[in-house]
Amino acid sequence: MRCFCLFAFLLFLAACSTIDCPVQNRVAVNYAVKAFVGGVEVNDTLKDTLYVWTTRSDNDDTLILNRGINVSSFSLPISYTHPEDKLVFCIVDTNDVAAIDTVWLKKEDIPHFESVDCNAHFFHTLTAIRSTHKAIDTIIINNPNVNYDPSLEHIHIHFKK
Amino acid sequence: MHLSLLSSSAQGFLKFERDSVPFFRGFAVSADLVGLAQMQLGDYGQYEGALRLNLHDQYFPILEVGIGRANHKDDEVTGITYKTTAPYFRLGVDFNIMKNKHAPNRIYAGLRYGYTSYKVDISRQPFPDPVWKWDTSYGVVDEQCSQHWAEVIFGIDAKIAGPLHLGWSARYRNRLSHNDGQMGNTWYVPGYGTQDTSNLGVTFNVIIDI
Repeated sequence: MRCFCLFAFLLFLAACSTIDCPVQNRVAVNYAVKAFVGGVEVNDTLKDTLYVWTTRSDNDDTLILNRGINVSSFSLPISYTHPEDKLVFCIVDTNDVAAIDTVWLKKEDIPHFESVDCNAHFFHTLTAIRSTHKAIDTIIINNPNVNYDPSLEHIHIHFKK
Repeated sequence: MHLSLLSSSAQGFLKFERDSVPFFRGFAVSADLVGLAQMQLGDYGQYEGALRLNLHDQYFPILEVGIGRANHKDDEVTGITYKTTAPYFRLGVDFNIMKNKHAPNRIYAGLRYGYTSYKVDISRQPFPDPVWKWDTSYGVVDEQCSQHWAEVIFGIDAKIAGPLHLGWSARYRNRLSHNDGQMGNTWYVPGYGTQDTSNLGVTFNVIIDI
């Protein structure tokens, strides 16, 4: 009887399953606002108001960052499988004068699998970035690996003063 | 003193008992019913058999081979389909830890090394990107993966009638090394079970002495 109870308990343990989807499962590109001081790149804060939008597949614009004020860093979504994302940055200064820049972000897309219980996701490797330069001074890739890690600074962006 | 007592206890059941019983006592073949039941009741399972040598009713070198299969179609939450079919093997030895080694029933403790090389198909019906709304294809076909693992086993073997035995074992599995392909992880690993650093498993065996 004791052996049967032990066997039943072990069978129960073996039958238990857990869903181990990561709690942190957002994949986004992290931008850090930087400035050069004495030739050294330091953290900076954008005093102007920042809006970012992009164009969907149906040619409608969609706002992906709304009224970013005093931002020193921000995160933007990245498309699952499009080879190049086109983002429009609108920077409105304190006199309500707007400057619009376009950013093109090229990447490679890697499907990522955790478990059949966890939603499908994509990781990305950033390969190239360029922009127009009305308000953006410099934009560079700092870390090309876009995954679940929210602490990575993928893009360093310098705005004109 | 406690450690030396434990050590001498372990040496006790490993120690060869000198008596008139021949060293080679034949071999046995067995089939696992738990893997069969998993296959019938769920999305994954395995067909597994084993060949076990009997050395003096004390040491039982064993080779377990099987084919593991998973076919999880269109998960109702995530829509993911996962398929794999591959062989695996485990090589190891069981030790009879009963005081009376030559009794018809046995209690085992054992170790295994397991390995499998398998290909997986992971897919999902095309779905729209949440922001840009482009249709997105997701998946991989015939992705080559592999895994090495170790097992610690505790089990019993009861003689039913003649050469027929029934036995069960509980297994603690620990992954030693793994290659999960380009997608980062796999789900079901043939012979190991659903993917994790370690897991528990159970077998129920029908054993025939040859």
